[in-house]
Amino acid sequence: MFEQIAFYFFSVATIVLFLITAFSKNVLYAMSALAAGMVMISGFFFLLDADFLGAVQLVVYVGAVMALYAFGMMFFDATKDVKEKNASTTLVVLLGGSVALLLTLIFIAPILGANIEASYPPLEGATNPQSVGLILFTKYLIPFEVAALMLLVAMIAGIILAGKKMDISLTDIEEDIAISEEEEMILDEKDGEK
Amino acid sequence: MNEKQKYIMLDLGGTPLTPWCRFKRVVKRTFRIELFIGLWVTIREMFKTLFMGKSHTTKYPFEKMPIPPRYRAIHDMLRLLESGHYRCIGCGLCEKICISNCIAMETRYDENQRKEVSEYTINFGRCIFCGYCAEVCPELAIVHGARYETASEQRASFSLFEDMLTPIDRLKEQEEFAGYGAPTPWADKNIKKTPLAY
Amino acid sequence: MDPLMIGIIIKIVLVLAIVSALAGFGTYLERKVLAYMQRRIGPAHVGPLGLLQIVADGIKLLTKEDIIPQNANRIIFMIAPAVTAATAFIALSAVPLFPTFTIPTSFPLIGGAIVPSTIADINIGILFMLGVMGSGLYGPLLAGMAQANKWGILGSARTAVQFLSYEVITGLSLLAPIMLVGSLSLLDFNNAQTGGVGSWILWQQPVAFILFLIAGFAETNRTPFDLLEHEAEIVSGYATEYSGMRWGMFFIGEYANMITISIMASLIFVGGYAPLGFIPGWIAIILKISFFFFLMLWVRASWPHVRPDQLMWFCWKVLMPIAVINVMITGIVVMI
Repeated sequence: MFEQIAFYFFSVATIVLFLITAFSKNVLYAMSALAAGMVMISGFFFLLDADFLGAVQLVVYVGAVMALYAFGMMFFDATKDVKEKNASTTLVVLLGGSVALLLTLIFIAPILGANIEASYPPLEGATNPQSVGLILFTKYLIPFEVAALMLLVAMIAGIILAGKKMDISLTDIEEDIAISEEEEMILDEKDGEK
Repeated sequence: MNEKQKYIMLDLGGTPLTPWCRFKRVVKRTFRIELFIGLWVTIREMFKTLFMGKSHTTKYPFEKMPIPPRYRAIHDMLRLLESGHYRCIGCGLCEKICISNCIAMETRYDENQRKEVSEYTINFGRCIFCGYCAEVCPELAIVHGARYETASEQRASFSLFEDMLTPIDRLKEQEEFAGYGAPTPWADKNIKKTPLAY
Repeated sequence: MDPLMIGIIIKIVLVLAIVSALAGFGTYLERKVLAYMQRRIGPAHVGPLGLLQIVADGIKLLTKEDIIPQNANRIIFMIAPAVTAATAFIALSAVPLFPTFTIPTSFPLIGGAIVPSTIADINIGILFMLGVMGSGLYGPLLAGMAQANKWGILGSARTAVQFLSYEVITGLSLLAPIMLVGSLSLLDFNNAQTGGVGSWILWQQPVAFILFLIAGFAETNRTPFDLLEHEAEIVSGYATEYSGMRWGMFFIGEYANMITISIMASLIFVGGYAPLGFIPGWIAIILKISFFFFLMLWVRASWPHVRPDQLMWFCWKVLMPIAVINVMITGIVVMI
C-alpha cells in the first residue's frame, strides 16, 4: 500500500514540479522546481530498490542544479519575472514538433519493447553497487570509457579557458594594457628604433 | 630604571616570490604544527577556567566592581557629621559654574538669619557630569557619588535635593569625598612599567 | 497495520524528538565551551548552570515576529529554512541508532511493534547521507536568493562555490575507506573495525580521515570555513532577513548536521559502536560522537576564518590532489 501511495505522490510531484520549471517566468521558481523534481525522481529509484542509483541521482543532480543556480545568480535578478522574447515562430514549431514526436516514441516504446528479454539480467545475490559496476564494465564498457574521455577533454578545455592569466592578480590587470605579447614585442622594437 | 628594552625580533623569512618557495612555506607551516598550538592554548584556558576558577566574568547585578573616586556619577549631597545638618550654605557657586545650566536653586534666610536651601534640583537630562560643581563647592557639600545605575521610572527620582542628600539614619556610612581627581586607593597595584622606554 | 511499519513511525518520532532536543542542547554546549575557552562563564543564571537557557531561547524564537521582506519571493523564502532542517533529519534516517527492540504487547495501541535500529535500512548508507546532506545546502542557497538583499545574494553565492567544491573532497576522501571495506553500508564499516583500537580505519587511512574532517567542517559551515554568514564581511549572509523560528530552523539544521558528521566520522573511521576494552559499545559511540562535536567547538574557539579565495585555493590546489593521490595509492595497495 505504501509503495502505491509513494509512487502516486512522487509522480504527481515530479510532473507538477517540472511543469513549474517549464512554465514559470521566475528564474528562482523554475530552478527550485527543477531541483525539487530531481530529488523526487530519486524517490522512484528507491521505490524500485535501486538504492545506489537513487543516491547517485541525489548526489549528481544536487551539484549540477546548484551550478545552474550559480549562472542564474549572475544573469538574472532572481526576484523579478523574466520577459520572454520568441524571435522566430519556425523555431517554436520545430522544437514543439520534435518534442511531440519524441513523446509519441516514448509512449510507443513500452509496446514495442514488451517482448524483449533482458540479455544481462541482474545477478542473484549481488548488491546494488556491484550489479551497477558489473553492467557498467561489461556491456557498457565502451560508452563508459568514451564518456570518461569526453569528460576529460571537457575538463582540460575548461581549465585552459578559465585558467588564462590565473597567475596574475585581478587587481594588477588594467584593461587598456591588456595587449598580447606579440604586440608588446612590436612596440618594444619601435621603441628601440627611436 | 631606564634599562634597555629587550625586543624579540621575529624572523618571518620574507615574502616568497616563486611558486616553489610558496609551496615550501605551506609545507613548513603545516608540519611545524602551528595550528595545534592554538588548540592547546584554548584547551589550557578552558581547564583553568573550569577547575582553577580563573574566570574573568563579573556577575554584574550580583557582584559589582569597585568604583574609583574619580568616577563622576549621580551627585550626592553630604551632611555635616557633627550636627547632621546639610553642608550646603546656599552660596550658588555650583549654579553659576554649571556649564550646561542644569542646576537650579532657590535660597532664603531662615529664622536664625542663616541661608537655607528651599529648592535645589539638577536636571539630569542636561547634566554632562563634568564635575565642575563638585570642584567649585567650598564646603564639599555637592560631590559625585558612586550611583552609576541611573535607570528609574521617572527622572525626578534622582534630581531632588532630598533624594541626593545622605539619609539622616545612614549618616555614619557617609564617605568623605577624597577630592576632585584623587587617585584610586588601589592605584599602586595598577602601576606597570611603560612598555616602551623612550 | 504491519508491526514493522508502526515501529518505523515510532522510530521517526523518536529520532526527530531526540535530535532536535540535542540540537538545542548543542547551542547551550557551544556557548558554554566557547565561554570557558575565552575565560568566561557563559549562560549561568536561567536554571541550574544556565541549562534552562535553551527553553528561554526556544520561547524567544517561537514568539518573535516572523518578518518577510516586501520584495522577497515569499514562497521560496518560507520554504528555505524547512529544507535545511528537513534534510538534516532525513540524512539521519540511514544511520543505525540504538539496537532493534520490540515494544511489549501490554502497551495500548502500539504494543508488539518492532522498532528497527535504522529507519531506512538501505545498504548504501554513506552515499545516501552524502546526497541528502548535499541537498540540504539548498536551504542557504534559496534563502539567500529569495530575500532580495545583497548580503543574502553574497551568502548564497558563497554557498554555491563552497559546497560544490567541498562535496568533491568529502566524496573522494570517503572513497579510499570504501575501497578498503568494499561496502557502502555503515553496518559493514562498523563490523570491519570490531577488533579494538588497532583495527580502526583511522590508522590505515589517516590522510582520508583528516580530509574528511576538513570537508565536514566546510559542509556543516563551521568556523574555519563559515563564510556563508560571516558577520564581519556580509552581515549575516543568507540569514540576514530571517527572524524568529525560521531563523531558528537554520540553526537546528546546522546542529543536526554537526551531529550527523560526528556520527559519520565515528562510524567510518574510529570503530563505531564496537566495544572498546571494558567500555560497552553504546557508551563508546556516544563518547566518540561527543568528542567530534567538541572538536568542532574547540576549533571554533581557536582558529581564525579563512578568506573565500584561500578557501577555494585550499580545496582545489591542496586537498583535491591529496585526495586523488590517496585514492590511487589505496587502489594500488588493495590490488596487490
